[in-house]
Amino acid sequence: MDTNKYLEQVLSDQILGDDSKELKELQTHRADVEELLSASFASKPIIRYAGSKAKGTLIKEYYDLDIVCYFPSDCDAAGKTLAEIYENVRNALREKYYVEEKTSALRLKGMSSVDYMRDFHIDVVPGRFTDDTRSDCFIYQKSAEKCRMKTNLDVHITHMKSSGVVDAVRLFKLWKARRGIGIKQFVFELLIIDLLSGKKEKPISEQMLHVWTEIADHEEAIHVEDPANPNGNDLNAVMDAAWPGLRAAAQDALNTIKWSGWESIFGAVTVEKSFSVTERAQRAAASVSTSNRPWCPRG
Amino acid sequence: MKKSWYEKNPAILHAMMVEIPAKYPDLRVMVERGAVFIRGNLPVMDGTEILDRFQIEIKLPSDFPESTPVLKEVGGRIPWHGDRHVNQSTGEACPIVPEEWLARPEHGSMIAFLDGPVRNFFLGQILAEAGQPWPFGERSHGIDGLFEAYREMMGISDRDAIVRYLECLSRDIPKGHWDCPCGSGKHLRNCHLEQLRALHAKIPAFVAQSAIARIDEQLQLVKRMRLPQR
Repeated sequence: MDTNKYLEQVLSDQILGDDSKELKELQTHRADVEELLSASFASKPIIRYAGSKAKGTLIKEYYDLDIVCYFPSDCDAAGKTLAEIYENVRNALREKYYVEEKTSALRLKGMSSVDYMRDFHIDVVPGRFTDDTRSDCFIYQKSAEKCRMKTNLDVHITHMKSSGVVDAVRLFKLWKARRGIGIKQFVFELLIIDLLSGKKEKPISEQMLHVWTEIADHEEAIHVEDPANPNGNDLNAVMDAAWPGLRAAAQDALNTIKWSGWESIFGAVTVEKSFSVTERAQRAAASVSTSNRPWCPRG
Repeated sequence: MKKSWYEKNPAILHAMMVEIPAKYPDLRVMVERGAVFIRGNLPVMDGTEILDRFQIEIKLPSDFPESTPVLKEVGGRIPWHGDRHVNQSTGEACPIVPEEWLARPEHGSMIAFLDGPVRNFFLGQILAEAGQPWPFGERSHGIDGLFEAYREMMGISDRDAIVRYLECLSRDIPKGHWDCPCGSGKHLRNCHLEQLRALHAKIPAFVAQSAIARIDEQLQLVKRMRLPQR
């Protein structure tokens, strides 16, 4: 198969369709979150999809649903300070979820006996609009150097959607997830967009090779700017910390493609199959020569 | 401080660092805070095709291979629930009763662990997600599951006898003057010495010791659960 067709098929295998089980489950949780938060706070917060769902960069293999929960600038329903908003939103979500606190987001996990601690892949990000225009927003930063950060969801979405390189971003996201590369997704996306500016007409394989080559060729980190807050959100330290690992992985990817081909990076792609995954799993299990039965200890 | 297995035998770790990514390109072997981890994305294969993928972490014990590696699914796909064979408190997966694995000749090979119990566990998870039964059956939870496994390993059904046999096996070489673990009251030489010797070849002392410790641990937990709450 031609390389670009192969990469298109890799991307096609990673589509989470609107009628997919995973997305339907996420949408159910979003409705629950909206109901919980609306019921808890007199003035209804603005609840919107953010992250990869809003930017069109979702991949099936490694997805999170980001939901923002922003309060109007003049609203104290969830608290006067950003810290209070963060804590009160967390408390409201705790009615139905086990909530794990992240720097700015609240990660939702299962609380009932059937899905205890199951990660629903949902982050709720509380915040407050800076003014009546409901554009810029402040979000709380727990245990960070600065306790608040200005951001703008629409700027981030537009920056991605107008980049013309969403497919490349999705492929890099898959590569990053499979290789366990420790760089913040948001920062990595900015880097890819920057490196591919002026290359959006190129075939996707060329875009990929270009980004890896640029990363591998730069001993020092390439720095990027947060388009929603170029002066207030310094991403240099994040990039510096992640650069050695990212650079080594990029070099490794280039070598792997050179010697073993693209399939060694992204694996086999789906071909038309007459059997469902369940049937194939049953067939695979039937051919196991040494079986084992799972157990579970008490406690 | 006691040296870890990879400090005593760095060559084994180096071989692992080469072999595992060669067979599983999306898995990496790393040393972190004095322990060896295998992390990344595990493809569940059906022949040459990928059936599904899971994000995993495997922590190798400091006395590897005399204890079983600890497997976790870290993508958040599998609930922490006994019915899915994931420890509800720790998130540790239980693909196999540990001593069943330790008694296998290939127990020192991480590739064999990934190809065997780990793959079988995730094949089971794919089917469990689809509401299908576990392909190879399931062990009962807790102490009952342990005895089911030890019964199969030893061909002995009585629980007290299993424990007595394990105690004998946990010592080095069976001696004829020991009381026979079958409970007959005879000396071993006049009773089940040959059977015990045959079992010893199958279940080395470290496996028997591990089994006794696990039974003790599970019994303590059962006792604690039964204590009246104040």
